[in-house]
Amino acid sequence: MNRFEAREKTMENLELLRYITIGQYLPTGSPIHRLDPRVKLLGFGALVLVVAFNGSYLGNLVLLATVLALVALARVPLAYALQGIRPALPIILVLAAFQVLLPSPAFSVAPRCSVLVRWPFLQLTDCTLRLVVVSALRFGELIILTSLLTLCTPITDLARGVERLLAPLARLRFPAHEVALVLTIALRFVPVLAQEMERIVRAQVSRGADFGGRSRLRFIQQTRQLLPLLVPLFLISLRRAEELALAMEVRCYVGGTGRTHLVRLRARPADFVALGLAIAFAALMLSLDFTAADRALLPGLAPNF
Amino acid sequence: METSVTQLSTRRIAVAGVLAAVSILLILAPVGGFIPVPTPAANATTLHIPAIIGGILEGWPVGGLIGLIFGLGSFLRAQLPLFKDPWVAILPRIFIGITPYFVYRALRSASAAWVTLFALALIAVAGVFSYQVATTHLVYGLLIAALALLAAAGLIYLARKQEAEVVAISVAAAVGTLTNTVLVLTMAVVRGYLSADVALGVGLTHGIPEIIVAVIITVAVVTAWKRIETGRGGARL
Repeated sequence: MNRFEAREKTMENLELLRYITIGQYLPTGSPIHRLDPRVKLLGFGALVLVVAFNGSYLGNLVLLATVLALVALARVPLAYALQGIRPALPIILVLAAFQVLLPSPAFSVAPRCSVLVRWPFLQLTDCTLRLVVVSALRFGELIILTSLLTLCTPITDLARGVERLLAPLARLRFPAHEVALVLTIALRFVPVLAQEMERIVRAQVSRGADFGGRSRLRFIQQTRQLLPLLVPLFLISLRRAEELALAMEVRCYVGGTGRTHLVRLRARPADFVALGLAIAFAALMLSLDFTAADRALLPGLAPNF
Repeated sequence: METSVTQLSTRRIAVAGVLAAVSILLILAPVGGFIPVPTPAANATTLHIPAIIGGILEGWPVGGLIGLIFGLGSFLRAQLPLFKDPWVAILPRIFIGITPYFVYRALRSASAAWVTLFALALIAVAGVFSYQVATTHLVYGLLIAALALLAAAGLIYLARKQEAEVVAISVAAAVGTLTNTVLVLTMAVVRGYLSADVALGVGLTHGIPEIIVAVIITVAVVTAWKRIETGRGGARL
């Protein structure tokens, strides 16, 4: 790809940026879509917690099955939920190779790890093997979970859910309403600033700047190109923030106390059931001892902790 | 009206929201979010700069909030297993905007003598650290030592020119970047994604260009926004 093609590609991507959001919403009207956003957020948090803490083969297989069942329940095509994985696949493979070839010294000498295969220059311990397999599984589960959350919930609903969930903390003088408002402003301003950024890039390109090629040998020039892009971007956003604050004050914005809401969230019985299930599942997964089960199922392959 | 730093005024809400939008935008945009470094693995980032600027301009709650939203965004968009872990992607990011505020406040009114003392302390700390690194990785150790000397010389030069504000902003930006690099890599090692050796290499090849770019951009933006006289004549942005 020559310089000009690369630049064209960059400009095209910038134009697309105006239309994309951080997550894609896919309305299918499934039971998961109809849940209260608060329930979805809490359930998502519980599942992420379990995924982050579980480091066993069996536990991660159970979690993968659960997550796939949720995708089916949401009537989301699997390809949609998996779209984040494809671009990351080569990186995962390279990282896995690195973990096998250059294992963390703590693992190769730890007394609790046993050597499975010994080659002339390197060895594969059961700890390394588990780390590689579990990292890959965990990554897949998290990709599906995060896609599922944004595929089933519009971003504005998520912001509302966050605000209502944080509301009890307001009693402890935690600025719940303000935090949710910051989140809403942030999401609202991404496309606005994307347009500003596009203007800056066009202006700099018309003066001969070259944002396209990513030749790694010219990294000093490439880095210098960032300054005339980022400095004006920050100054424009700060000016926007100033105008926004003024506009809010002119409209008598006085903060969260006594504010009413355009959309009121009301939890239905199904929401409580879903929340109860999610919490029960998380508690169960956290209390079970999967390491022992691993050793029973895969004798000789699962380390003792 | 002067409000206490923890109170979220309308202005602070707006600044936090818009700067958080910048950091989400930089996550999504094809240009601007990364510094190309000549290593095969990944790029150094500029994504933490909004949190630093927010922290310096509007106090630590704003900086912390921007960091939190940046963390959430990077967690949701992550394509590396490393950053699909909330312990690595979200938790350390909250502090990016918090540390610069305190450094900035402490150094803003510091006299030239204090800054010189600080620079000497920096040389001492960097000396010990680079010696320790040099025992295993000679090149890295020398690199750290050279950069620390350069940074200290720059600080003393600025302090002698009575530019306490610029000194404060630069050190705050460097500390904010280090907060990001060190905490994220520490969490990555603790959670078992990287070995300590690899983390050190990544920290140096990514951390150093990140610090340089963050300092330049933060100084340019904050001085322009606060209309601080930088002692250089000529056009302003």
